[in-house]
Amino acid sequence: MSIGTSGFSRRGFLSGSLLFVAGTVAACSSDPKSGGSSSSGGGSKTTTLNVWYHAYGEAGTQQAVMRYAAAFTKANPDIQVKVTWIPGDYSAKLNSSLLTADAPDVFELGDFNTGLVQSGQIAPLDDLYGADKSDFSTIDLDYVSAGGKIYGIKQVDDVIMLYYRKSLLAKAGIAVPQTFDDLANAAKELTTKTVKGLFVGNDGVGNAPDNAIWSNGGDLIKDGKAAFASPEAVEAVTACKRLYDDKSVLLGYTTDWWDASALTQGATAMQWGGLWSMPDMTKALGDDFGVAPWPAFKAGGKPVVRLGGWACLVNAKGKNVEAAKKYARWLWIEQTDLQKDFSESYGFHVPPRKSVAAAADKLQSGPAKETVDLVGKYAFTNPNTWSNAVSSIYGAAAAKAMTGQGDPAALLTAAAEKAQPEIDKQRV
Amino acid sequence: METEPQAAPLPGTTRSATPSRTAAPGVPRSRRTDWRAIGVFALMTAPILIGIGIFKYVAIGWSFLLSFSKADRSISLGHWVGFANYSQLLGDPDFRKSITQIVLFTLFIVPVTFAASLGLALMVHRIRRGRALFRTTFLIPAAVSYVAGSLVWKMCLFSSLPGGLANTVGGWFGASPTPWLQQVSPPVYWVVIVTLRLWLQVGFFMILLLAGLQGIPKEIYEAAELDGATGWRKLRRITLPLLRNTSVAVLMLLFIAAFQAFDEFYNLFTGGGAATSGAATAVKPPLVYLYDKALGDQNYGLGSAGSFVVTGLIVLVTLLQGRLTGFGKSEE
Repeated sequence: MSIGTSGFSRRGFLSGSLLFVAGTVAACSSDPKSGGSSSSGGGSKTTTLNVWYHAYGEAGTQQAVMRYAAAFTKANPDIQVKVTWIPGDYSAKLNSSLLTADAPDVFELGDFNTGLVQSGQIAPLDDLYGADKSDFSTIDLDYVSAGGKIYGIKQVDDVIMLYYRKSLLAKAGIAVPQTFDDLANAAKELTTKTVKGLFVGNDGVGNAPDNAIWSNGGDLIKDGKAAFASPEAVEAVTACKRLYDDKSVLLGYTTDWWDASALTQGATAMQWGGLWSMPDMTKALGDDFGVAPWPAFKAGGKPVVRLGGWACLVNAKGKNVEAAKKYARWLWIEQTDLQKDFSESYGFHVPPRKSVAAAADKLQSGPAKETVDLVGKYAFTNPNTWSNAVSSIYGAAAAKAMTGQGDPAALLTAAAEKAQPEIDKQRV
Repeated sequence: METEPQAAPLPGTTRSATPSRTAAPGVPRSRRTDWRAIGVFALMTAPILIGIGIFKYVAIGWSFLLSFSKADRSISLGHWVGFANYSQLLGDPDFRKSITQIVLFTLFIVPVTFAASLGLALMVHRIRRGRALFRTTFLIPAAVSYVAGSLVWKMCLFSSLPGGLANTVGGWFGASPTPWLQQVSPPVYWVVIVTLRLWLQVGFFMILLLAGLQGIPKEIYEAAELDGATGWRKLRRITLPLLRNTSVAVLMLLFIAAFQAFDEFYNLFTGGGAATSGAATAVKPPLVYLYDKALGDQNYGLGSAGSFVVTGLIVLVTLLQGRLTGFGKSEE
């Protein structure tokens, strides 16, 4: 190679590298926030809100959320909304994103816990409620409250209960279970070569232990103490082992408990599932399904339906807290039409606002109505100190107990001891 | 050094604008050339070095500091807690159990994978026709990601439904459908894990061993044959000893890969962040344990401490293995 060419290429190379480095530096240093909020000339300042949702399974939900965002921008031209739809492990992605500059300004969360308040991650939203506060149910407000302040707005209430195939139960001459023994017997009798009796989750554990504990008068956390090693709880979890031992629970289906497929495709006769799946159930099964609470553990116990759902939270560490609060109030408090649309047009959810729930006509008849009535009587909700750490310690112990990997009492006692510091840590 | 004439102009490139600078060939210009080379070297490598520096070593250093601080829901430094994370970690029976499990798993999977790879390599090396075909066939799984492999194993081959391949085959012999991944006792999920790992890894290590086999001079075998050595004897006395360096490297890679097991355990036992199998509580390799602690529970301090413990173990065993087998002393 001649020096001349080499000289030219050296220069070219140098400027090329400099361009590359400059480009990299520019790309790295550009603040993702400043990209959106550029003040262009005479005070017309636009903000871009980054809003996160987990991927709802029901068709049309994502489009609905985008539509709401567009409507918000129409009403508030100075605020753009960028919706991010997260499939897969939502909480892991959310948690790692919250540590960075790309964190969402507004995000929904299915397992609210006071650890977020303790770490200053989320902003108090008391002032957003105003006079509308009384229209929200106490159980929802309590769930998103800590230290006397409200930190979230419940977007939807999700009800989780037992679905069963009426025809299969009738054919076997089995009544809807009233006690845990009934449930276990029914599951065993309904199990055939190709159909299992009960589906609680692909791991064969799911919510069964927690339901059993509540239905036996126990608690997960009581007065700030881990209560899942109490005698009632141990009795309940020990009994759950029978479901697994009988081989009457469906294991490892293609979809998990939160999807209607296992019941609609005839893989199981009973399924622990959500109200959101009801449109799918009706579509596939017509009226050949019924709903029931998880039965009382024994005479004197309480039937259980779970009340979950997603709450809208505002990132207190974000740069657009005021705009984020505006969006949260606009969508989840003011826009009752959109709340109604979100609750009944895709999957079924119960609107947290009583007035909206009363107006949601698709929830006023048939099994949907029965489910809403069950909520009034038997609703249990996770304590809001039920953080991921606490839940995974308990979950591992309960799953081990249920699948025969140790003595339930010993496992739960050890787990309660281990979980206590994690509960204390979240004290606000 | 006789490589100096490289700098002389090649024929046909004399359109150079400054031919005078290349005059006087043979005059030592090594110092000038060196500086230029160093400059170009620096320019060429700077982007990648800076990248590695920032995204690898700064991150590793940060993580090391995090392991000595209380980092709950935060990755900022400041709350120094000394060795609290390490003592919490080593005091956790679950973590100790996960270390024991991975050691047992490694002790099993490394020899098995090695034997299978070597066996395949010897066979592919011996055949005369279609060697390329077999080599490629066995190598293809190495191009499949662990995630994709896990999903195929979980949903098609070892699905717990009667329609899964394993259950269909079992059905021909009258067996009732087995929940391969969900059943905890007997722990048949090991069948799934081991077959998946073998399928994914054997081809790649077979290629490495095959390269080693092809590097053994034929003359040695011919000489041995003249002396009357037969197949088994040739294998033991010639092939294996001359394959030693490759084997040691392969074993080391296998060991590290086994100790870093994460993907298949994570993807086979969980889905969408939730356990899909009772085995998720029965078997938890250290990396899955640490993933749960750091990204699940958001305890980044504990997670960092754990990653240094695991790294330390890998380095320790690798060094020990290097010392015992004399890896890197091939020159002597």
